[in-house]
Amino acid sequence: MKIIIASSFTPFAQGGATVIVDSLADAIRAQGHRVEVLALPFHPQPEALLEQMLSFRLIDLSQHGDQLIALRPPSYLLRHPNKVVWFIHHHRGAYDLWGTRYQDIPNSPEGLRIRDSIIHADNVALREAKRLYCNSQVMADRLRRFNGLEAEVLYPPLAQPERYYQDGQGDYILCVSRLVHHKRQWLAIDALRHTQTPVRLVLVGQPDPEGDSYARQLAAMSQEGGLGGRVRITSNWIPESEKVELFAQCLAVIYMPVDEDSYGYPTLEALQAGKPVITCSDSGGTRELIVDGETGLVTAPDPEAIAQAMDRLYQDRAGAARMGEAGRQRIAELGIGWDKVLRSLLA
Amino acid sequence: MRIAVVNNCVPFVSGGAEHLAEALTAKLIEHGHSALLVRIPFRWEPPGKIIESMLACRLLQLPYVDRVVGLKFPAYYIPHPNKVLWLLHQFRQAYDLCGTPFQSLSDTDDGRRIREAVVHADNTLLAQARKIFTNSGVTSQRLKKFNGLDSHVLYPPLSRWEHFFCAGYGDFIFYPSRITASKRQHLVVEAMKYVKTAVRLVVAGQAEDPADLERLYRIIQENRLSDRVQVIPRFITEEEKTELFSRALACAYIPYDEDSYGYVTMESYYSRKPVITCSDSGGTDVLVKDGQTGRVVPPRPETIAIALDELFTDRGAARRMGEAGLDLVGQLSITWDHVIGNLTA
Repeated sequence: MKIIIASSFTPFAQGGATVIVDSLADAIRAQGHRVEVLALPFHPQPEALLEQMLSFRLIDLSQHGDQLIALRPPSYLLRHPNKVVWFIHHHRGAYDLWGTRYQDIPNSPEGLRIRDSIIHADNVALREAKRLYCNSQVMADRLRRFNGLEAEVLYPPLAQPERYYQDGQGDYILCVSRLVHHKRQWLAIDALRHTQTPVRLVLVGQPDPEGDSYARQLAAMSQEGGLGGRVRITSNWIPESEKVELFAQCLAVIYMPVDEDSYGYPTLEALQAGKPVITCSDSGGTRELIVDGETGLVTAPDPEAIAQAMDRLYQDRAGAARMGEAGRQRIAELGIGWDKVLRSLLA
Repeated sequence: MRIAVVNNCVPFVSGGAEHLAEALTAKLIEHGHSALLVRIPFRWEPPGKIIESMLACRLLQLPYVDRVVGLKFPAYYIPHPNKVLWLLHQFRQAYDLCGTPFQSLSDTDDGRRIREAVVHADNTLLAQARKIFTNSGVTSQRLKKFNGLDSHVLYPPLSRWEHFFCAGYGDFIFYPSRITASKRQHLVVEAMKYVKTAVRLVVAGQAEDPADLERLYRIIQENRLSDRVQVIPRFITEEEKTELFSRALACAYIPYDEDSYGYVTMESYYSRKPVITCSDSGGTDVLVKDGQTGRVVPPRPETIAIALDELFTDRGAARRMGEAGLDLVGQLSITWDHVIGNLTA
């Protein structure tokens, strides 16, 4: 078959949304299909949202390919007679973040029109899909609540899960994620001040375009007194092999974004490498994989509570290893893998 | 600099322009820039879709990008304050192909309106670019003639020139290209009827239309040329191509009225082989100088045959002309350093 994978991207930003597109393309190609990846640029700036959505809508791919698989918004607005959507998030400012401090659309008559237009367009385009999947229970709930749609959860697997392995337990907790404020690396550094053990923190990730000030802020925090050089930050790109090794040799992984839509690749990478994950009670989708005391530790989003979790894993290595092992089993239980994804998307 | 190369695309179709866009992106990264390729789908049937495609490009945004390099219609309409163009060609249906058998816009009110919209958009929006480069003198002349816009020619270099090499001068002429009527492989196959020496011919390429391939086989069969003409009717790999070039005596490239010199010409020179082309082949005249870097002959089998025989008889001349061809590539600054220096200036 000829399959078009459509998505959108923010130029020069790396993250889960680009990884899922590339790994899906590889997995489908490996089954012998031809794949065309169409990723169009998208600027999530409220004043320009509707124009860009119209642009996507004007692109008619109905002459090409046997099937279109759309992922990131607003790619599902593209026209194709055989469209399948693997929904990964809304434009959240118009949905669950409306009315919170993260609402990006102004609370004005104009802003309300933008919000309503987004919701209306999503309702129309998502109903055109032959099948609707999403990447987490959180998303399935939101689609039901806001759009009145039922979506089946199809958990995104790692690109190459077989690369991950376990190689001892080092003295550091690893955090691999884009350096953006809502991933809360700052909270992890803050927590380190309150630890009783000499546990270290290794942060790996690149800043978003125009996001250098946050990276500088983290660097400054890590230099402050009291931390005794226990934080290491790597903000340039590192090869996959190096990243996999960091996972293999860490004590545990910390991933505590604010109210994430899905479990996030770092969580899955940790469990695949047999490591427990520290996450927060308000982190959203991570909770679908991390059960407190079983596959990691779920704490309140405050430095003292996180510090306690860090110390606990540092002092109870056997417990950490047990939770890591349970994490691997959790992946198997949930059937997270490319076989299931392809069976569903290409059905 | 963060640079977006912007090209149009038709899903599952890839040709010279797609290859050039990918090569440019890769070379920009090699030169120390952050670069990415943006491909915007273009649909032109039914003709109303042309306007929708143009509007779609106009409504997109490219944040976090310092410079845009626009290549093809209508993708080059994407708004950006710091855009340069490296025009591979405009939408030819609205310009030079209008009134020819290749025209797809009908001569109706609708067809005329669409043509006017394209010309108007080009006049207005191309003029807003910081600088306009084109890939050939032909493209520049058309832009001047139809839109009154000035531009500079920036010849496209070969993406993997270092793969090509010379392993001597064999007994065959090599014509690698898509097998299609406008590339006129049939002319050089027919020329083989008239040759007086033992020169051979190898034609390689994928046929878009089986009829074009059958035509070649028919000429070969009717004239009993099968022992001297070999057709490889498929896409050949880069390795196969460089290997065949390395042993060839010369290269034939005789399209009808091409816009540019074609990669084949460059590949031939990097393999130190002269190029045989025709006086009506268009852009090849930039690189093929008769008697100096190859042969330029009238588009008739008989005259092509004479050129083939002469090269076969004088291998020394073949070598001299092939080497002179490579010198000319250098003199015309057809290099990535030159292209990237201009596009990022």
